[in-house]
Amino acid sequence: MNKLLKHISPFAPDISGACSVLYETGGLIVVCDAGGCAGNVCGFDEPRWLKQKAPLFSAGLRDMDAILGRDEMLVEKLSTACEQIKPRFSAIVGTPVPAVIATDYKALEKKAEKKTGLPCICIDTDGTKFYDEGEEKAYYMLFKKFTKDEYKPKQNKIGIIGATPLNTSLSESKDLKKYLNQEAVFFSFGSDIEEYKKVLECEELLVISPSGLKAAKYLNENFGIKYNIDYPFIEPSFLEKLKESKKTLTIHQDVLLKALKDRGIKTDCATFFKTVQEDTIKLKNEEDIAEIADNYERIVGDISLKKIIPNFKGDFIDLPFFGLSGRMIYENN
Amino acid sequence: MSSTYFITAEELAKNIEDKKPLPQELLSSKHLIYSSPATLSFNSPGAKGFGVKRAALAIPGSVMLLVAPTCCGRNTALLNEIGYSERIFYLLLDDTDIVTGRHLNKIASAALEIKEELNYTPSALMICITCVDALLGTDMERVCKKCFEKTNIPTVPAYMYALTREKKLPPMAAVRKSLYSLLKPRKRISTVCNLLGFFSPLYDECEIYPLLKSIGITRIGELSRCKTYEEYETLSEANFNLVLNREARFSAQYLEQTLGIPYIELTRVYSPQKIHNQYTLLGKALGSDIDDSKYLEKTLKKIEEFKSKHRSLTFAVGEWLNADGFELSLTLLEMGFKVSEIYATVGDGNEKLISHIAKISPKTRIYSNLSPTMLMYEPSKETDIALGADAAYYHKGKSLEFNSETQPFGYQGLNMLLDGIDEVLK
Repeated sequence: MNKLLKHISPFAPDISGACSVLYETGGLIVVCDAGGCAGNVCGFDEPRWLKQKAPLFSAGLRDMDAILGRDEMLVEKLSTACEQIKPRFSAIVGTPVPAVIATDYKALEKKAEKKTGLPCICIDTDGTKFYDEGEEKAYYMLFKKFTKDEYKPKQNKIGIIGATPLNTSLSESKDLKKYLNQEAVFFSFGSDIEEYKKVLECEELLVISPSGLKAAKYLNENFGIKYNIDYPFIEPSFLEKLKESKKTLTIHQDVLLKALKDRGIKTDCATFFKTVQEDTIKLKNEEDIAEIADNYERIVGDISLKKIIPNFKGDFIDLPFFGLSGRMIYENN
Repeated sequence: MSSTYFITAEELAKNIEDKKPLPQELLSSKHLIYSSPATLSFNSPGAKGFGVKRAALAIPGSVMLLVAPTCCGRNTALLNEIGYSERIFYLLLDDTDIVTGRHLNKIASAALEIKEELNYTPSALMICITCVDALLGTDMERVCKKCFEKTNIPTVPAYMYALTREKKLPPMAAVRKSLYSLLKPRKRISTVCNLLGFFSPLYDECEIYPLLKSIGITRIGELSRCKTYEEYETLSEANFNLVLNREARFSAQYLEQTLGIPYIELTRVYSPQKIHNQYTLLGKALGSDIDDSKYLEKTLKKIEEFKSKHRSLTFAVGEWLNADGFELSLTLLEMGFKVSEIYATVGDGNEKLISHIAKISPKTRIYSNLSPTMLMYEPSKETDIALGADAAYYHKGKSLEFNSETQPFGYQGLNMLLDGIDEVLK
């Protein structure tokens, strides 16, 4: 049955994706939930949560708040917290509860801005989509709201969009910086909202996951910044492993898949998430993997997927994917 | 930045005495809820310990179908690490489902597909639903009936309704009722009783077992000790239930109504005198004398030894531990120690404890773990040891989490606590 998972756990939801992009920005984040969604984010999808404090809160909604649509109460709570915490802006992240009661996010955003005197963004995630959808919305809204056109490009500075623990399976951007030989700002990963304001200082942008593409297109169309799509953070030793000639299927986020092919790896690509390549196989459920697995001699992907194909006779090479399984590249992450 | 909110025991006791409303910072419904690592177990119990999902699988041989958007099942991957991966299945809802409720028509077919997937027949199927169905007003009894008709597997709802957790029947109370709802009437046996309240057993060393045996009880049932469904079914043979955690009160009432099993409530306390009083009252209620003098004397001796060894200690006490933070704080104060900070939820009948604490230690600071201002919290330097996983998170020095899954109770609990503190201070 479509949407029935019998072997693996659900992937990171859009709520987690939005929170992942917002986590280091310095904004006050309110997950518009009763507690469980924020708990999923903090207790599972946000590896920075244990080592790096962030003002990420649950709205603490109760049934009558939802039934009566008490937006004023939420704005009041938000305003009090803003007075206590002094954030640079606020962000309200949607969950199934506001989706069911059809919360008017535009109105909520305006009310929050009026009450707090701070910029506010409302991200209409609903918990039914995957993390890439939430990341895409958050990146786009942050750039749209905060980009300032007073900055001029700085030579050799690039901006990385799409670097989050969910996409990279790493909890710190320093593990990515070592692959680059130039000044780079990783938006939302080791940088705060000030870098969004200064995005026009970047000579060009590098989109490292599909969730960053919409924001990059927006910046290109409105401010003329060029962008490339690539994932330059692949260990050469890993590429070596894949060079052995075998019919291969790789399952991951699509920019990483594209990067493998760009580096000469012969593989078919598949993903459960957004795509940037036209020929990537779009997986919808567990059965999709089971149906195509036997066409390959080797599968590269998060090891948790192996449960779906227990009888697969070929090689399975583990490529951890936090957004899919919650597994990081390094044990200590 | 403003400082972290706290109130002294003295101020809070005065507030309670004057019958003034509690300060808003102490009321979780009046402010945003800080999801720090210190609050996880009670702000989102699904993420740690026993939330609805794990608790609902307490019936031996049962499996679960979680019917929810992706976001509700994500952290269930943590349960895979502790052996639940073969027992939990997911029917994911899309954006149309959560508005129209069309997913309700798929649940029975999904249940059948799960049955066909397994190479055994589960003893029960728990259908776990979430806030979405709470708002849609889903009739789960009907859904479960349809599942049973299609699969012939007893099917029970588990309501993971976070929206209702401050209601009379919060999710963790409702799930206990679900767990006992498959029990069928049996002939009750006068020498059998059950312990209700926890999803893990008490420590084997707990004195409650020999004390109950001393008054003629031959079998003590605990759901968490049932290895098979047949064993689970024998829980309905009990002559009475002992409720050790008030979240189990509703299920005890349910068992009284459906199976005619009466219940008696005990509370987990750490004051030796209160433990003794409870056993005395329990004996009276059962028409027998419970002689706990051996355990009481041993415990009092241990307290004296502990006090002479650790003459002056200052504690920070949290609420993510196997105790009521206020009761434990009061016990420590009555032993002559100091309590500098308490992280706890005010309410639930702990007002009297706060008044007592205020009399002994008026300057003890009381914090709300859930307050957004805890983001700026800096622990005091006067504390020698932190008790509870939340207090241990704040205080990076010596700490005892004291939140094991196996449950401490009575004199055994107090002795274990003192041993634990002693070990940490070595």
